[in-house]
Amino acid sequence: MAKTTPFPKDRWDTLHNNGPFDLKILYVTELEGEGNIPVKTERYNDAAQEIRRLIKETSDANQGFRAYGSRWSMSKIAHNKDRMHYNGFMNLHIPLTAADRHIDSPYDASNLFFFQCGNIIKEVSQTLGAHGKSLKTSGASNGQTIAGCISTGVHGSALGVGAVQDYVVGINLITGPNPEDNIYIERHSRPALNNEFAAKIEAKVIRNDGLFNAAVVSLGSFGFIHGVVIEAEDRFLLNRYVKKIDRSLALELSDTMDFTNSTFKIEGETDADGKPLTPYHYKVFINPYTDESEYVIEAMYKKPYALPYEDPFPTIKTSIYKDLIYLLIKISEKFPKSIPWFIKKLRKTILPAVNEELTGTLAEIFWDAPYQGPAFACSFGVDHKDSSKALDVLTKLARDEGPFPGIYAMRFVKQSEATMAFTKFPITCMIEIDGVLWKKSRKLISLTEFSRRMIEVLQEAKIPFTIHWGKNSDWAFPNLVNDMFGDAATTWKQYRSALLSKEMAQLFSNDFLDTIKLSEVEEELPEDLLVSIEP
Amino acid sequence: MKLNQTSVLRLLVVSLAFLMLSSCYSVRLRSINGAPMPDPLSEREDYYRDMQVIELDTVISINATTKDFTLLIKETSKCPSGMLHTVEYRNTFGSVLLSAITLGRKRKVKIKYVCVKPSN
Repeated sequence: MAKTTPFPKDRWDTLHNNGPFDLKILYVTELEGEGNIPVKTERYNDAAQEIRRLIKETSDANQGFRAYGSRWSMSKIAHNKDRMHYNGFMNLHIPLTAADRHIDSPYDASNLFFFQCGNIIKEVSQTLGAHGKSLKTSGASNGQTIAGCISTGVHGSALGVGAVQDYVVGINLITGPNPEDNIYIERHSRPALNNEFAAKIEAKVIRNDGLFNAAVVSLGSFGFIHGVVIEAEDRFLLNRYVKKIDRSLALELSDTMDFTNSTFKIEGETDADGKPLTPYHYKVFINPYTDESEYVIEAMYKKPYALPYEDPFPTIKTSIYKDLIYLLIKISEKFPKSIPWFIKKLRKTILPAVNEELTGTLAEIFWDAPYQGPAFACSFGVDHKDSSKALDVLTKLARDEGPFPGIYAMRFVKQSEATMAFTKFPITCMIEIDGVLWKKSRKLISLTEFSRRMIEVLQEAKIPFTIHWGKNSDWAFPNLVNDMFGDAATTWKQYRSALLSKEMAQLFSNDFLDTIKLSEVEEELPEDLLVSIEP
Repeated sequence: MKLNQTSVLRLLVVSLAFLMLSSCYSVRLRSINGAPMPDPLSEREDYYRDMQVIELDTVISINATTKDFTLLIKETSKCPSGMLHTVEYRNTFGSVLLSAITLGRKRKVKIKYVCVKPSN
């Protein structure tokens, strides 16, 4: 039997020290040993039974429950003031065979993989690598759990792929304490696995596009995400280049995404007619405190996997020196005007080296990111056509009302089908401000105040935007989620209200959900929300 | 030019500080594969945040017949895989001094290591 140890704890924090937040009990569940339960689906079902027991225990105590994995989110999305569940040890991989594939599935059986919630991206990539496969994209690093990634919308900068949730094709949720509260959801228009597989994990199947799209970016509140089915692809290589290009060209590419007709050309990355290829990944780095005529950009081009290629790790392992960053925070709090000078001096450690070139797999390039001390990250999604305008508004804010100890970057992500995906525009430009946490001082406003001002200036400029669920913001800003998502927010709440009993809706809520007004239970619901539609 | 006592003392302190700083360093080995063993109860705020770190701080004896020292990594609750993910060896001024005073017979060993998280 899977074993859970309850630890009485009075506080909990994120990896990047954005708390601490109150807590009562921390549950840590470990799987039963393979020797005692050799069949993987049986170990998985044994763990599901344990999770249902914990949900009942929490419900009986009239408290809240929230699962978390690597605690990489900087917002309070992963937090519950009552009971939290660490699921990092729940890292089964259940091999799938062609016999598990749904007869109408558009997916190649060899590309389908089933992972338990606590597998981190690095573990998933290693399993896929052993099969000659790869994830389609990941975040900038590999430490988040797969369940955490999809709950919060983790993304890279893959123009033609999307975010992590966009290659998830099935989700197994535990929505309550009873055996029938074990549900496997997938799209009816693109089923992945058959009913026989769902029976193996003792789950009721619901094939419904609307429900799946709502549940895939669930903010952790559609129940306990126990397992996910992902669609992988053949392992590939990425040629990565770091260049300094004209600011106007970098922004023009951001606004148009028209690489083919641009003057941005990298030798060897052209088509048969000599025209520039569209990269797999495009990222722009911006120091908001300088008026440089050139920006550092990072571009990656996808290639078939082939050996040999030069070892990329000597370049990948370089990182920021923590001590220097701590020094920067302390000085910034007292002398904010020194921030631009520091950022300029630190650019060689903060930004990738210009003219750096390497080749590696996705898992190698987006490798481990060591902890570097307290950090903040704000991230706004805008339509890529608005990217230079939004960047201008946000950098002006940093110059006029800052400076703040951080630098800006822009990444670009294909539109997601998920109801509450912040990557909702045809191509979303994620404008990110990353830096070191500071304490409010007489000379420097707080992070929440800075976040509020960012929302205000984007609204004043009439630029539609979204905010990354796992990043810092002024989440209590009035009408924020409705302004960002409109009717989609209501649709999401309806599916959640249909899926969960009132008691469970309360149990799986948290302060974050209350703050953004998404914990409300919808009373009037269309009848077909939970109908399983056969393909 | 004659140095007075204070200057000599200052020079000694500076030299000692230089020696202490220059003899203090860490070497870290980290596997590119595998996830580090997590520790959900850890509140560390260093490189090992969220990792299950095992620390060894001891003095070993080296004699004419034993010129090396082998630390066995066993499967324990902190290291269920019994496999190494990260190893950090730290050398300090104290280690150098101990070795010098004992003519190499006693060596201070200061190691941190993290095991690989078991895969399932």
